[in-house]
Amino acid sequence: MASIRIERLTKVFGATRAVDGIDLAIPDGEFVVLVGPSGCGKTTTLNMIAGLDTPTSGDIWIGDARVTDWEPGERNLGMVFQSLALFPHMTVFDNIAFPLRIKRAAPEAIAARVRAVSDTVHVGHLLDKRPATLSGGEAQRVALARTLIVQPSVFLMDEPLSSLDAKLRVEMRTELKRLHAALRSTFVYVTHDQAEAMTMADRIVVMHQGRIQQVGRPLEVYSDPVNRFVAGFFGVPAMNFVEGELRPEPEGARFVAQALRVTLPGYRGGSAPAVLGVRPEHVRLADGRESWPATVSLVEPLGDETLVFLDYGGPSSLVAKVDAEEKVAVGDRRSLTFRLDRVVLFDGKTGGRIPG
Amino acid sequence: MTTAGTTVAGGLRRWLEQERVFRWLPFIPVQGLFALLLLPNFLLLVYLSLLSWRITRGTWWNAAFTGLDAFQRAVEDERFLWALARTFGFAAAAVPLELLLGFGLALLCRQNFRGRRFYTTVFLLPMMIVPAVVGYDLSMLLIDQGPFNQVLSLLAGRTITVRWLSEYTPAQLAVIGADVWQWTALTFLIFTSGLAGLPEDPIRAARVMGASRWQIFWHVELPLLKPVIAIAVILRSMEALKIFDYPMLLTQAGPGNATETVAVYLWRVGWEFARVSDAAAMSLVLLVAVAMYSLVAIRVLRRERRRLAEEGVA
Amino acid sequence: MRHGRRALFPLVRHALLLAWTAVTLFPIYWMVMTSFKHAGEWVTWPPRWFPHEPTLVNYVKILTPGTSTFELGRQTLKILKPIGDSLIVSGVGSLLAVALGSALAYSWARFGTGGRNYPYNILSIRMVPPIVIAVPFVVYFVTLRLLDTYTGLILVYVATCLPYVIWMMLAFVEEVPVELERAARLMGASRLRVLRSVVLPLTASGLVVTFLFVFILNWSELLLAITLTNTEVSTLPITLNKFQSANEGRDYGPQAAIGTLATLPVVVMGFLIQKHLLRGFSFGLLRK
Repeated sequence: MASIRIERLTKVFGATRAVDGIDLAIPDGEFVVLVGPSGCGKTTTLNMIAGLDTPTSGDIWIGDARVTDWEPGERNLGMVFQSLALFPHMTVFDNIAFPLRIKRAAPEAIAARVRAVSDTVHVGHLLDKRPATLSGGEAQRVALARTLIVQPSVFLMDEPLSSLDAKLRVEMRTELKRLHAALRSTFVYVTHDQAEAMTMADRIVVMHQGRIQQVGRPLEVYSDPVNRFVAGFFGVPAMNFVEGELRPEPEGARFVAQALRVTLPGYRGGSAPAVLGVRPEHVRLADGRESWPATVSLVEPLGDETLVFLDYGGPSSLVAKVDAEEKVAVGDRRSLTFRLDRVVLFDGKTGGRIPG
Repeated sequence: MTTAGTTVAGGLRRWLEQERVFRWLPFIPVQGLFALLLLPNFLLLVYLSLLSWRITRGTWWNAAFTGLDAFQRAVEDERFLWALARTFGFAAAAVPLELLLGFGLALLCRQNFRGRRFYTTVFLLPMMIVPAVVGYDLSMLLIDQGPFNQVLSLLAGRTITVRWLSEYTPAQLAVIGADVWQWTALTFLIFTSGLAGLPEDPIRAARVMGASRWQIFWHVELPLLKPVIAIAVILRSMEALKIFDYPMLLTQAGPGNATETVAVYLWRVGWEFARVSDAAAMSLVLLVAVAMYSLVAIRVLRRERRRLAEEGVA
Repeated sequence: MRHGRRALFPLVRHALLLAWTAVTLFPIYWMVMTSFKHAGEWVTWPPRWFPHEPTLVNYVKILTPGTSTFELGRQTLKILKPIGDSLIVSGVGSLLAVALGSALAYSWARFGTGGRNYPYNILSIRMVPPIVIAVPFVVYFVTLRLLDTYTGLILVYVATCLPYVIWMMLAFVEEVPVELERAARLMGASRLRVLRSVVLPLTASGLVVTFLFVFILNWSELLLAITLTNTEVSTLPITLNKFQSANEGRDYGPQAAIGTLATLPVVVMGFLIQKHLLRGFSFGLLRK
């Protein structure tokens, strides 16, 4: 059993609370991604699960065992570092064999295992080379092989793909997912890249300033964000935010900003400053029940779709994602409207989601 | 570009600007210095060794040319050979001690603990002191009724009077001790920097794999420290073979010839005995011995530098 | 588990470190103490760890003008002139060496002047024991009338410390990204201008460190100094070595004062450059 449980985990460095009392339960076999901007505490959390950093307070459980005080080597983990951490003075074979060698396994057994594992990740032909001579992708796989060889119950990964170029990154993403499906071990993956989080995770843990903002499946986190930070973190281009005011009306509420007036049935509550969030794919260039005039200020064709920047009279442009076939030109006067069922509201002061 | 145009200064500047002039500019005075200073010097050394000249007997260009006589005398000179052996012996004793001590101290000071700054500052002091001062200082400490013997007596619980400056082996230990006292600071410095420069991630990876502290040290850290160890060995052994100041000031190469290193002996032959040709011949023999050693050392240095460039930081 | 043995370790560590601290400080302490002792307290049994009657007389004696003498079995050491001579020889020598050596280091780093192996060849100069060159140097200098002159000794010092200057400045020059210089040249700067405005400011600390390092080296040098000088030039280490072979009349107090004074500036310089020393000392082998 390789479930992970974190209770009130805190890590303080001097005056900074890098991790601030977080709780998390990861069931056995799940692929969990810790995501957030630099400094949010995700790597520190990972290091504490690994045992490389000692928590200031709180507990960590792997399976049934309380491992908080255990040495990293006692926890039966596999870890891949951002820098890959291959031993530069050893051949690929020696690198992969190292975990078994320190446990003093028999040389023949070691050789057999190394060959088996390196075939699994397709590095069997590189066994005599040194890390400096490997390409980025090859080095990645060797690092993976080195963790696979001990068959750990939990895999920890600290931004392993960030040193690869974009194309390779996408390939490795798929490989890692396949590996996870084959092994069915628990994976804890740290990244700052929201696209990686979205494509790879069974569940995403969004962190910011040492605290967990939201935990949920990718689509949940994407369409049902719990606060403005989470909403703005996911999605490229980012969600459109309009600052304004929420005014109660008989049928629900009305959101009022410079040039926009949006009627939102279903919202309760009194008058308050609020922020309206709407994703570019939910902004339509058409007339709708409520629509407003806007001028096209910039057009960015992406090939499969087109981004249209619209000046509607507010302080910044709204971005709309439209079909590539749509004919838009800079200077056009168009109507814009929102898919109201996808619009979200946030409290103007706290950033918290206003339900409704 | 300026409109310096036709002025002499402008023309000079433009001439300097060319790469082929610019790059050779510092090269010429430096090579010139070496050529004027070191090259004739060396030729003179060779020529002198082929003479049979004492300063007391007139100028060198009038001295008798006797070919390889001086070399023969040098090779048969027991005192010279002993001095050579002694010098290499001192180096062989002192350098490993300095390496071990420096490495040990660097390891102890590796983590950031309270008082670490104090210790590192103190440990670096000795290497900044003028070696002649060290020699004199220890000569004062090591007198028969001196503080060092007093400390020894305290530690041993009974009166100890080692005659450091007037007995054969103690004097040699004193000279070795002076070198170790002063230059452990340098190996400490080199190893401290080397340890600090070790890449963190391979070490953490090894920890996660369950390697013990010793296994990490032996399989990961030590191999990565090879270039650093190479520098320390090369630097210290190069200098240790030249020991001159300590024997001169500590023991005056005494008692007898106990601490007469080859540098001291040659100095005596040249200055006190005025047998310049003999000194020249012996110098050449010494040079050959040292050159062989240095060539190996430089080759090692070059290899480690190349290997580091290849390995990079993986 | 983490505990147990770990608690004992800090104690052991401090014990070992304190032991070496004592070893390190002991001679220094003794010398400084002796410099403040009057003649009666120099050689006592048991030795006095702190002067019962501290005095400045040793310092006064050595700093008053005069020349060192050995008369009637008593030594009298004077260091006013030696301090000056050491300053001149080490100062000028180091400055020249740094100026020439850093220019050459730059030239090699950027243009490969002198060939790929030039720094290694230069280093081999340093491998030669000074005694080997001392003998012919005397003869050579006598012929050139450079014996016992400032110029002569300065030239020799420049030649002997150039290898270190080149290696250290190499490390510092290689830290300056070439792109900065290229950008400046594209903006129209002349090579000299690039040196002045880009390279110099970025290697300034390296230059200081290198200068202080070779200054210490030259300041401490003994063998070549006593070989190539006689009466006109007399550096501090020479003064210390004078009369050392005498068995009586050893002037411990003044010698200790000389030692303290000779060491003080060097120790201060050493502190200043401590941190930076390693960058230059790495011979290109230490990972960044």
